[in-house]
Amino acid sequence: MNIEEYISSGILEAYVMDQLSPAERTEVEQAAADHPEIREELEKIELSMETLAFATAVQPPEGVKDKLMQKIGAAEDKEAPVIALQPDKSTGILRFAAAASVLVALASAVMAFTYWKKWQSAENQLADMIAQNAQFAENYNQVNQQLDDIQNAVAIMNNTAYKRVVMAGTDNSPDAQATVYWNEATADVYLSIQNLKALSQDQQYQLWAIIDGKPVDAGVFDPNNGSFLVQMKNITSGAAAFAVTIEPRGGSENPSLETMQVVGNVTT
Amino acid sequence: MSLPNQQIDQDQLVARLRAKKADAFSYLYDNYSAAIYGSISRIINDEDVAQEVLQDAFMKFWDKIDQYDAKKGRFFTWMVNISRNLAIDKLRSKEMKKVGKTDTIENYVSGIEQSRLNHLNVDGIGLKETLATLREEERFILEMAYFKGYTQSEISDEFDIPLGTVKTRLRMGLKNLRKVLQVE
Repeated sequence: MNIEEYISSGILEAYVMDQLSPAERTEVEQAAADHPEIREELEKIELSMETLAFATAVQPPEGVKDKLMQKIGAAEDKEAPVIALQPDKSTGILRFAAAASVLVALASAVMAFTYWKKWQSAENQLADMIAQNAQFAENYNQVNQQLDDIQNAVAIMNNTAYKRVVMAGTDNSPDAQATVYWNEATADVYLSIQNLKALSQDQQYQLWAIIDGKPVDAGVFDPNNGSFLVQMKNITSGAAAFAVTIEPRGGSENPSLETMQVVGNVTT
Repeated sequence: MSLPNQQIDQDQLVARLRAKKADAFSYLYDNYSAAIYGSISRIINDEDVAQEVLQDAFMKFWDKIDQYDAKKGRFFTWMVNISRNLAIDKLRSKEMKKVGKTDTIENYVSGIEQSRLNHLNVDGIGLKETLATLREEERFILEMAYFKGYTQSEISDEFDIPLGTVKTRLRMGLKNLRKVLQVE
């Protein structure tokens, strides 16, 4: 006999609720006598039914007890020695209350843990999103800055007050090219790099304006500083040409002409 | 939800009832009448009839105590089955079956939760919440079988549910209830 199967068939519940035929009843009683597991299961079913009955108890109306006591031939005697039989009811209640409070505490703990986990993951997500947000803001600012640069550059390039001086590569670097935008009236000088080779860390390019045949320093720059148009030192009127040389970082007072990369004449 | 279920007390009680001690009967009534009356009044709505059945039941406990066999089950199980059978017999003899079985368990539960019951709500877990933990089909079978006194085959016939399904659902319902009621 498969005991598991027998127990899970529901016949024991039916037995406890007195819903079986006499033959079936005998069978269950025999099975319970043979198998302690079945006896145990029956006890559990009975206890759960009993617990349920007490949990759903309904106080009967007054007076029923008196009638019953009369029927069995004993008037209800208030001083009947029932105390001896009294089970410790308060202990029972306490026990149940204790069990219930353990259950409640357990449930609360589980809930607390669950919510703590949720809160924690929400906190992490929030931190991630704040970081992301900062990144977006930074990107936005960068793009905005570039846009400003480009707008300024376009304004300068399209401004007819600026002279456009294209500087072509010298024999040192035939492919090199850069352009100077020079406003003679305001003396503003901007440089746009089309193609200049990378330099070592201790070198920098230096822009020169040729005024009356003499080179005048117009500032140093790095080939790849990211800007679209670099503002250089102001050059007042009289420049006939612009040229770029390679100098030690920081620039020189006099150009090393042998390193000249690009040069271009100012068209009048 | 205290159970006067200490085995020694129960054996002692049965012994004293067999000896026809009136104080034992008084004790029996004081401790069990509410649980028994609950089982009866769930089957019989009419309060006067339910009261009548309660009296019959207690008289039967008194008169037939010698038929109780502790080897076959708990004393309370014996009592509650006598009571339920009396209630069902009464219900059928009066042909009040349809009228008597209309209340849903929810109505019933909210009813008792409002009443002044010393057995209930001492623990903070209401029966309603307890039953709410069951799956609906389990709760339905439990309601019909336990609270309304239907037999398993009656439920099967009347609600067109295979008998095997009725049995397993009742079993699962009680089993889940056990966990909540901490009978394990």
